[in-house]
Amino acid sequence: MDATTAPHLIPPEMPQYGEANHIFELMQTMLEQLLIHQPEDPIPFMIDHLHRNNDNVPKIVILGPPASGKTTIAMWLCKHLNSNLLTKENLIAREFSQVPEEAKWNHQGLKTVPNSLLVKLIQDRLHEKDCSRRGWILDGIPETREQALMIQTLGIAPRHVIVLSAPDTVLIERNMGKRIDPQTGEIYHTTFDWPPEMEIQNRLMVPEGISELETARKLLEYHRNIVRILPAYPKILKVISADQPCVDVFYQALTYVQTNHRSNAPFTPRVLLCGPVGSGKSLQAALLAQKYGLVNVCCGQLLKETVANESKFSELIRPFFEKEVAVPDNIVMKVLTQRLSQQDCIQKGWVLHSFPRDLDQAHLLKSLGFHPNRVFFLNVPFDSIIERLTLRRTDPVTGERYHLMYKPPPTVEIQARLLQHPKDSEEQVRLRMDLFYRNSAELEQFYERSVTLNGDQDPYTVFEYIESGIINPLPKKIL
Amino acid sequence: MEAADSRERQARDYLEKHRIMELLRHLTSVLLFVRPEKPREYLISQLERLRIAKETGVAFPFFLDNSNIVAMFEIMDSSNKGSISFVQYKEALKTLGLCKEDEVLKDDGHAITLEKFRNEVNKRTQEIWLAF
Repeated sequence: MDATTAPHLIPPEMPQYGEANHIFELMQTMLEQLLIHQPEDPIPFMIDHLHRNNDNVPKIVILGPPASGKTTIAMWLCKHLNSNLLTKENLIAREFSQVPEEAKWNHQGLKTVPNSLLVKLIQDRLHEKDCSRRGWILDGIPETREQALMIQTLGIAPRHVIVLSAPDTVLIERNMGKRIDPQTGEIYHTTFDWPPEMEIQNRLMVPEGISELETARKLLEYHRNIVRILPAYPKILKVISADQPCVDVFYQALTYVQTNHRSNAPFTPRVLLCGPVGSGKSLQAALLAQKYGLVNVCCGQLLKETVANESKFSELIRPFFEKEVAVPDNIVMKVLTQRLSQQDCIQKGWVLHSFPRDLDQAHLLKSLGFHPNRVFFLNVPFDSIIERLTLRRTDPVTGERYHLMYKPPPTVEIQARLLQHPKDSEEQVRLRMDLFYRNSAELEQFYERSVTLNGDQDPYTVFEYIESGIINPLPKKIL
Repeated sequence: MEAADSRERQARDYLEKHRIMELLRHLTSVLLFVRPEKPREYLISQLERLRIAKETGVAFPFFLDNSNIVAMFEIMDSSNKGSISFVQYKEALKTLGLCKEDEVLKDDGHAITLEKFRNEVNKRTQEIWLAF
């Protein structure tokens, strides 16, 4: 067989390094920038891009009907993420503040700014240093499809687009209570968001154009336009209902903006499932292995197989099995290392469960170089576990396994002869659960980026949660 | 749609002209091979070296140096007869990223010797670097 056509044996450190340092995303953003700007001299351009290091700055667009609270949300996000806010008003004010034209624009109520001028202002502003360093938030721009397309052609693409939505009647009513603080520009509301300080209250002015008729007209305009803007941002769009308290809207927006989207990076899942006995780990591992082609490694099963296979380890392990004592850690580690270093595990990824059981085992696993990239803790309350395990029965004649609640035996005759495994008695289950919970706090601390799931649901729901945990990037820790 | 097509073509031509994909592939391979603590800084240093090499005309930092080429040849030539078949030669060039899938290489009937293999690899690598 020709050496050059055999599959390449890539050492596992390479994909691990790639995942940990997000190399794929780094290269992808660099390529995107190269294609957008197409510089004559790519190398200096790439050097500048790498120096700037602004792949993860916020690039947000917030859209929504009048009185939905976009400006408030935009301002709060700006303060929280330490970014720059761009609205139509402040773009124009920056540009024309030195020119006496400003008075003319203000007088006309900023209604007739031509699209090309606005887009040019946006482009210039975004090229300034602070925007490239700290990111930007566009409030209420683009207003029409034409503007959206123009911005896109210039290569300005947001990473997150938030659209606020609420029923029209709510908005019209809300707009009647709108008040503006002329000094800070912040927007308050007579019912929902009244400032506590007396001096601000005295300053507040009623803005123009908030009568019912005005608002209805603006809403009509908005609805006409928004339908044609939304398809421009298919995968990065999120609609948040504005018909809830401001703080809730803000928190939803903040969490969304801080999540990364699914990336196309190559990813070999190395999943660790932890949970007390009866939480469904083996079932979930089997489902994962079946759907994604991962290798299902169950520690207990692996040891039994080794004993049966009569390999060199079987001699070591057999006495422990016969005496029904737990096999010592170092032997388990040797068997596990052998299994996990096999080619199919490295290439396809693995799902490990019922190991590690305590902190020492976790340290051992780490020292051998097996780092799981997703860790899940399945939480099931004690009563559910008792219910799941103590009702298990086996039919001694056919070998079929039943469960008195979830999979009852079909006939009374079978039911009469069912037997229970001594391991499934209540005291045994209680013992094993206590053993797990004694160590679980340490394990959760050790695997910092683990995901905790509610295991007390039907298997397919739990499976979907696990899937979304694997496919989506790990949630960032909120600072 | 016309505008979209032509821009796509423009983008593809740009990639071809400056051999961006080969450069990125090379950079990624180097990163994964060296696995530096700080990938960004390392990338910047590599690009700086490339830029200086291009300006001053000094020899480029080749990824595949002479010993590697010899080693690769020896792997393919397992029976040590001093030459490799044409099919192996083509596969090797494809693996190194030095020739595209559908490029037709002329088969002159003789087996490829080490000298010829080395010259061809160097020549193609040079071509790629010159485009940066």
